[in-house]
Amino acid sequence: MQLTKIPSTTGSLNSSINRGNTYKAIVLSLVFVVIALTLIPIFYLLMRAFQKPVAEIWALLFRPKTLEVVLTTSLLVVAVVALTALVGILIATGLHFVKLPFRATFLILLVIPLAIPSYVFTYTWIALLPSFSGFLAAVFILFLTTLPYVILASLAGLRRVDGSQIEVARSFGFNNAQIFFKVVLPQIRGHISGGVLLVGLYTMSDFGAVSLLNVDTLTVTIQNMYRASYDRNAAAVISLLLVFLSALFVITDERFKSKNLLNKTTKTTGTKVYTISSKPYQITLISVFAVNTLVAVAVPVYVLLTRFINNPVAIDWRSIATASISTVVVAFFGAVIALVLSIPIGVLLSEKPTRYSRITNRVILIGHALPGVVVGLALVAFGSKLGFIYQTTFLLAFAYALLFLAKSVASMSGSLAKVPEGAKEVAATLGMNKWAVLKNVVTPIAAPGIALGTTLVFLTAMKELPATLMLRPTGFETLATQIWSSAAISRFNEAAPYALVLLIIAAVPTFILSRPDRVDKALTTQEIRG
Amino acid sequence: MTTLEIKNLDVSFGEKKILDNLSFNLDSGQIAALLGPSGCGKTTLLRSIAGLIQPDAGTIRFGKQLVSLSSLSLPAHKRKIGYVPQEGALFPHLNIAQNIAFGIDRSAFTKEQIKQVVKEMLTLIDLVGLDKRMPNELSGGQQTRVALARALAVKPAMILLDEPFSALDAQLRAELRTDVIKLLRTQKTTAILVTHDREEALVSSDVVALMRDGKIMQQGSPEQVYSSPTSATTAMSTGDTLVLSAKRLVNGQTNYLFNPINLDANILEIGEVVIRPEEIKISKDLSSAKIIGEITKIDYYGHDAMVEIAVSNESVQVRIPGPAKYATGEKVALEHLGPIRFFANSKS
Amino acid sequence: MRKIGIFGLLSALLLTLTTSCSSSESKISELTIYSGRTEEYIAPYFAIWQRESGVKLNIRYGDSAELAAQILEEGKNSPADLFISQDAGSLGAVAEQGLLTPLPKDVAEGVPAKYIQGNREWVGLTARVRVFAYAPDRVKVLPTSFTDLSKPIYKDQVAIAPTNASFQAFLTAVISNKGLPFAEDWLRKVKANGVKIYPKNSAIIEAIDKGEVSIGLVNHYYVWEVAEALGRPINVKNGYFKANDLGNLINVSGVGILASSGKKAKAEDFINFLTSERIQSRFVSDIHEYSLLENISIPEDLPPLSDLGAPNIDLEVLKNTKKTQDLLIKVGLL
Repeated sequence: MQLTKIPSTTGSLNSSINRGNTYKAIVLSLVFVVIALTLIPIFYLLMRAFQKPVAEIWALLFRPKTLEVVLTTSLLVVAVVALTALVGILIATGLHFVKLPFRATFLILLVIPLAIPSYVFTYTWIALLPSFSGFLAAVFILFLTTLPYVILASLAGLRRVDGSQIEVARSFGFNNAQIFFKVVLPQIRGHISGGVLLVGLYTMSDFGAVSLLNVDTLTVTIQNMYRASYDRNAAAVISLLLVFLSALFVITDERFKSKNLLNKTTKTTGTKVYTISSKPYQITLISVFAVNTLVAVAVPVYVLLTRFINNPVAIDWRSIATASISTVVVAFFGAVIALVLSIPIGVLLSEKPTRYSRITNRVILIGHALPGVVVGLALVAFGSKLGFIYQTTFLLAFAYALLFLAKSVASMSGSLAKVPEGAKEVAATLGMNKWAVLKNVVTPIAAPGIALGTTLVFLTAMKELPATLMLRPTGFETLATQIWSSAAISRFNEAAPYALVLLIIAAVPTFILSRPDRVDKALTTQEIRG
Repeated sequence: MTTLEIKNLDVSFGEKKILDNLSFNLDSGQIAALLGPSGCGKTTLLRSIAGLIQPDAGTIRFGKQLVSLSSLSLPAHKRKIGYVPQEGALFPHLNIAQNIAFGIDRSAFTKEQIKQVVKEMLTLIDLVGLDKRMPNELSGGQQTRVALARALAVKPAMILLDEPFSALDAQLRAELRTDVIKLLRTQKTTAILVTHDREEALVSSDVVALMRDGKIMQQGSPEQVYSSPTSATTAMSTGDTLVLSAKRLVNGQTNYLFNPINLDANILEIGEVVIRPEEIKISKDLSSAKIIGEITKIDYYGHDAMVEIAVSNESVQVRIPGPAKYATGEKVALEHLGPIRFFANSKS
Repeated sequence: MRKIGIFGLLSALLLTLTTSCSSSESKISELTIYSGRTEEYIAPYFAIWQRESGVKLNIRYGDSAELAAQILEEGKNSPADLFISQDAGSLGAVAEQGLLTPLPKDVAEGVPAKYIQGNREWVGLTARVRVFAYAPDRVKVLPTSFTDLSKPIYKDQVAIAPTNASFQAFLTAVISNKGLPFAEDWLRKVKANGVKIYPKNSAIIEAIDKGEVSIGLVNHYYVWEVAEALGRPINVKNGYFKANDLGNLINVSGVGILASSGKKAKAEDFINFLTSERIQSRFVSDIHEYSLLENISIPEDLPPLSDLGAPNIDLEVLKNTKKTQDLLIKVGLL
């Protein structure tokens, strides 16, 4: 048959060019809107902080206690980052290259701690070891809770390492260690730095673990000042200090990454898989996994279960059901809002890097270190002026989106960057304008990665507490607030059922997250033929 | 009828000028090969035609329609161009049938019609039955075919192929190239093929454009560009070339290795003579030989052989039909069958 | 399938949205309460009121100080009608910004004037006494004054909760009675003596029970609260300083009506309910707190308020926590 009906869509030069600029203008103005929203908490902090006389601000910043807290926070971040990076990379590398039975199960067990809020994690360890407290305990807990970030990020990088390169290295007589350092590690540095970034920012913003373990970090100081309520201005000054520290961390992390600019691949064909089957490796790995499962999964689950069983009070299943639904629904909408907000940012970041896109990225990341209480109060201040959305689930969902936007942006820009340039160009020559390309080529290719990021936001939002307490509709209970209200009066037994249900619900998205290989299949992985 | 007309095109990336005042024409139904070393700007030219790059100056016309005028340009999706990039760039998330149907306007054709086109295309590229496969389940050659089918499915006014065969091994490459050219010819598609392979350019095209440093140095039929190069450089870009220093005399004769006439006549200009290896005849009969050399090396290819012969101080390459009857170290008589292509050194 | 899932979630969200909306537009009047008092201990009385009055209560539970911070941020836009606080300080801070409305004379009539703020902007609900909790087997020499806690015999054994409002109320009393330099000196000495910091009173009791510390400054009722929560007897007792020592400070929990509330009459009814003899006696029997009404018996196992030798401190001064917090920040305990 003949295709005679090719529509003559060729318009005049001018109108078409204008449309190209419209695309750019729309993306940029949306980026601007999102950045403005992200800056609400920082704007609030500045507004508050500068209600204090400058002399007092200086005095507050330079008192010995502040220095001490900054030092503690920095040491905590360095320790947790170093430990998670070291262990996470090794575990991921082992998981990727060593032939193991039950690989998928191991991966799930390694990632499941993501489902446990740090405060529940800490409660359970304190319940087991009453003297569990202090800096090292905090390092331990934060290490266990953030390890999955590095494992997942490294695995994503490792899947892109071409097995043939390793075979080439082998042929040159390199041993496994040399191959790891010379071939594998340099290629996954970008991914590692992404994981480490999440770990560092999480550590900075964590309140649950450090406050329970009596470690005075910046977030604890900030929360104390808010609890002491009448000095919101001092708290704002310290919060800005935290913002500064996180900016420093973000820039350091960027340096680490920029030394190794990943070659942006335009290939749509994939890489070859390389596996090692050596007994010593297998045994070592399985023992590491077993220890991790014991301390990071078995202990919390065991403690929660015993508390649950020993709980003398009748369990209020209705309240558990209501809280579960509330938790899931608000977290879901938070994740969706984060997804929507991250689209323009992701589009900007996936294109050629400019100075503006770098700044945009930093702003988003720095916001990620803000503790929930700061974002919560900022939205109380702004939201209460807009009566109709104040204390609605919408504002709470929006707070989640702001708190965890960086996660969603990271996966958005990462997934968009993965879309082969060639595929976009071909689509353009086949008659698709930028929007159509976005819809028909970019979205389907990037969707699995974006869904993963959205899942991560969903998971994190379900565990969120401080902002939830402040912004939830009056009388609205999530699993996290229920855990809090029982634990606040030391009734851990009564908190246990809620914590268990949270763990079970959170395990579902964790399960999805721990199977990115599925998702990846659709993207690029392919074994080289012949 | 001229389908493509490019005039005074300039493209720069930052300080670097990639296309420099380039002009080029192509008639409807013709296949053109853009031949040049990597970095000469051929891909940039192709992308400018496709609308993927916005030129800084110059015009591009498709037929009568202006698609690019200095910095204004019609976006790629309105040009109705078929584009086959390196390695195909199939959509990894779509199966083969979906890839082929990708560009077809869904509002203008029914599902059945589209299905029909996909079927025709699959037949055309000889991949019937693979319509449900994913791109990563195909071999490199099959991927290239699909990429071509995807471009052809929309009946483009012109098809642009950017080194589509470069990732394939030699034999597959030759086969696929033959198939593709045949296919393009039966479809009467105007096409531009970017390549750095001399043989590929000559074999596939009606028009060869030799590119270097952002300019087209020579354009013509394959025979023309091969037999009548406009300089030693263009000669070298289309095939093996022997370049010998030469002097043109006032009496019209040329003094060079194969014509060592005396230089009594006044020298008009100094330059080079460009000879193809197959234009020299060698024989074992040294009796009436004017020029004699000694074989230093024989590269045997089966259908022919390349023989390297030391003559005076020069090393001369001669292509002889196989099987070779010569041995290294043997003395042979040489004779240049012509033509004598003399290029005077540029006066600087 | 996927569409149904999303639709289901959407309708669930709409449900939660509409339930919170429809309630605010329903015909029966309702009140919104920010409660710094823990749900566990106060919800039963809220339930009684709802049942009897037919007025629905929307209760937002939280930490007193955090809720005060929230009200301060909300300002005139606060959706709250009432603020119930664990301590006078949080109420004072909110009143200071003019966010509470003076109560008419006929509200909370039974409560003695000394437990009502000067402008009648808030009224006391229950009294709690600052005590030192200690492990009887480990503390041989009991302190007679809070100043004793800086002595070497208590080195590394003392626990405080500087972020806790009751502790801050106590420190405010010290500052107003003995002056800022004295208070600063004492804090520094205690800090140098290795004082341990805990986030809250109950954590101090647990720490004493676990043996982490031996003595801690808390409110009197936490000993029962923690034992109840743990479901077993604990190795912690309450102790009292000598008569008139500031360490024996009586603090009150209280309630005020937001100036921005449009339902003041109903809110006043509610305060009258909470200060009624019936409910007050329940506070005493259920949660071991002292009633402020004079004719109601004291909690079991506790000395009468008058026997405590509590210092005579005007609760009005307890709102001046700004200085207190500045001090805590200055010496590095906040």
